[in-house]
Amino acid sequence: MLEIRNITKQFPAVRALDGVSLDLAAGEVHGVIGENGAGKSTLMKILAGLQPPDQGSLTLDGQPYQPRNVNDASRAGVVMIHQELNLVDDLSVAENILLGREPRRFGLIQLGRMRTEAARLLTEIGANIDPRARVGDLPVAQQQLVEITKALSQKTGVLILDEPTAVLSERETTLLFKLVRRLKERGVAIVYISHLLPEVLDLCDRISVLRDGRLVAETDPATADADQLASLMVGRDLVDVYPPVVAPSAETSRLSIRDLSVPGHASKITFDVAPGEIVGLAGLVGSGRTEIAEAIVGLRPISGGEIQLDGNLVRFRSPKQALEQGVAYVSEDRKGRGILVDLSCVENTTLPNLRAYGRLVPDRRRERATTANWIERLDIRCPDPRSPIRMLSGGNQQKFAVASRLDAQPTVLLLDEPTRGVDVGAKRELYHLIAKLAKDGLACVLISSELPELLGLCHRIAVMRQGQLAGVVDGPTASEESIMRLAAGVGEEAA
Amino acid sequence: MSESTQTNGPGGGDKNTASSASNTSSAKTAWQFGLSTLERFGVVIAFIALFAYNAITQPETFLKPENLRNLLNQNADIGVIAVGMTLVIIAGGIDLSVGAVMAFGAAVGLITMNALFEGSMNETLAVIIGLGTGIALGAACGLLNGLLVTIGRIPAFIVTLAGLIGFRSVTLAIAEGGEIRAADGLTALQTLGRGGLEIPGVLDYYEQPVIFYWNILIFFAVVIAGQLLLGRTRLGRHFIAVGSNEVAARYSGIAVNRVRTWSYVLVGACAGIAALMSLMRMNSVSSSGVGHLAELDAIAAVVIGGTAMTGGRGRVWGTMLGVLILIMISNMLTLADVEVYWQGFVKGVIIILAVLIQRGKAN
Repeated sequence: MLEIRNITKQFPAVRALDGVSLDLAAGEVHGVIGENGAGKSTLMKILAGLQPPDQGSLTLDGQPYQPRNVNDASRAGVVMIHQELNLVDDLSVAENILLGREPRRFGLIQLGRMRTEAARLLTEIGANIDPRARVGDLPVAQQQLVEITKALSQKTGVLILDEPTAVLSERETTLLFKLVRRLKERGVAIVYISHLLPEVLDLCDRISVLRDGRLVAETDPATADADQLASLMVGRDLVDVYPPVVAPSAETSRLSIRDLSVPGHASKITFDVAPGEIVGLAGLVGSGRTEIAEAIVGLRPISGGEIQLDGNLVRFRSPKQALEQGVAYVSEDRKGRGILVDLSCVENTTLPNLRAYGRLVPDRRRERATTANWIERLDIRCPDPRSPIRMLSGGNQQKFAVASRLDAQPTVLLLDEPTRGVDVGAKRELYHLIAKLAKDGLACVLISSELPELLGLCHRIAVMRQGQLAGVVDGPTASEESIMRLAAGVGEEAA
Repeated sequence: MSESTQTNGPGGGDKNTASSASNTSSAKTAWQFGLSTLERFGVVIAFIALFAYNAITQPETFLKPENLRNLLNQNADIGVIAVGMTLVIIAGGIDLSVGAVMAFGAAVGLITMNALFEGSMNETLAVIIGLGTGIALGAACGLLNGLLVTIGRIPAFIVTLAGLIGFRSVTLAIAEGGEIRAADGLTALQTLGRGGLEIPGVLDYYEQPVIFYWNILIFFAVVIAGQLLLGRTRLGRHFIAVGSNEVAARYSGIAVNRVRTWSYVLVGACAGIAALMSLMRMNSVSSSGVGHLAELDAIAAVVIGGTAMTGGRGRVWGTMLGVLILIMISNMLTLADVEVYWQGFVKGVIIILAVLIQRGKAN
């Protein structure tokens, strides 16, 4: 259906794509995997008309396909669903689905016909959404369905899904997979990009692996396993993904949370973190994990309970105050809250602790020296620390986000989904970094949705369920199953 | 194209596409290079072009030192406000009240001065206290704006629009709609306005030394101070961070409200400085005329200078060139006998052009 031949794309610094050829067949789910920076996004942008290729050709249904923009592409039937959804929050579901193609009579929009049309399209893909609802009020999963409905309402032949499950809960993911399979039966060619290898193996009919802009393998999921794919992506065998767990350096508690309640999100949460200890915070999305961390550093109001730091009662009013007293928080939302994408790597690194570089006028030479030091310590790949941080890959941005918090020399580090959207190789480096920080005496709280990383890194894991602490398990001896049982409320006895 | 590639066989086809692609890509980089230069330094190029155009078409008048001096002198106060406006816009805000605050500061400053002088205070001291009052009042108005925006959580546009209306009204009430003049015998203010720096060897038509008034020097001093503040100080870095992404800045431990409030205090102080500059130049205050539409001229200069209205990105030296460009345009139009009514239209077109040229960087 879509033939991709010898596509090459050169950017000023890197060759993003180097002679990539792929074939997409109708009614096939084609997985595209690779580390960040492997060229997946560039390839998809070329397909969706966001960027032209330097060399090579695209053929769609036997016709040359050279989209100059997104509209060209969607007219030809190629639509991409981005990680960041492109919907108008303030319009209704129906208005979004038919945006720009509203049924009109005498120049006026026919609201009734628009609603019935949208309702028909929604039922067609099995989405149970009120077409009159305001899109901004819907949960992300339903917004995604609205976007898919919108795409399919325009005779789409090729649907590109860019990490669609990154924002979804497990149940919503299952629903999405059902939908993808149904679309496949209708003859849509689906390109599926993801970091999560198990779901790629589960869903796709064929898997292409990109590395450094080249297509390194095209495999059949029936004969491949996740380890194999991971080593294909990285180009070497991944060993020692998790560092050995070292016992905490002290028995005393550095951070003590006692019966902490966050209105609407969490109630009566109690846990302790010792210097050198990594405590995991597990739970489903929406169980109140992030809110607890945000409340600790003063980003959310607290309705009850105590926070103790080295035995002293504290209550921070802002992250600024928390940081001054040694409690740092790295947000799960890297681009929205963790780093400032338009500022340089140096400026990002020193921003939280800028006072240390001069009360009024920061010493820029010292700022650069510190940044160089962090680049070396955290093994960050950054060609020019003075260039904007958005030029770096997700993993390296994340390392800078961590570095910036560490630069204030905290004694407690709260990490919220530090490996989200980070590729396999960089994940391993982050794990080793976290373990090393703990070994050096930092008290760490690790919030994560990925159970293997909690089990691999944490001394203890506190499991949350619907705003309550469901139980605390021992990291090295726990299993994914025991945590899931707690998180999903299957067995109470472990608490 | 792709069909012929296939029928030609792989070798020949590849060669063709490769050579044509490399041609287009090199042409493209050259074009992109030209474009990004235009985006970044378009304001410099426009400045040089306008300066050259003025100098060539009016060789007799434009380049005369006294002409340049007068042009600068007339617009230096707006220039100072524009510097403050740059900071507040970079920090993600806007201040529409600057013109009214300028008039308010000038009126109260002059009244204070007159009262002290008539209360038989030393003339110089009275002038200094009066001017100081003007600046302090400007900063205080800025503080009020800043607190309403941050703690009151009212959009900056609304707060400062109310300020624009309110402060002007207070000024009109104080002056009963008319003009406030310096007290009889109070000459120090006027002397200060005529004073300045003589550059050796720069002579006017009558072979007299040209005095570059203090106002002009204040303008350039404020530009330098503003650029240093933005580029070299912690506060400046925080302005950029807050304007670029307020939430991320808060998560980074920046006291966002304090930083934003400071941006309003600074722009208010700039309006206060502009107030004293207008006092020194005019020796009086017209309650309806001083600072009239100053906010719009200042925003225009900021935009022409390449500062993003969305915050987080900007430069003070660009605003300075923006001010100079606006001066030269109106000078050019005046000397070309274009009616004054049409000058606003030309300014409007220039603003749109400036944004069009510089837009690329935002994407």
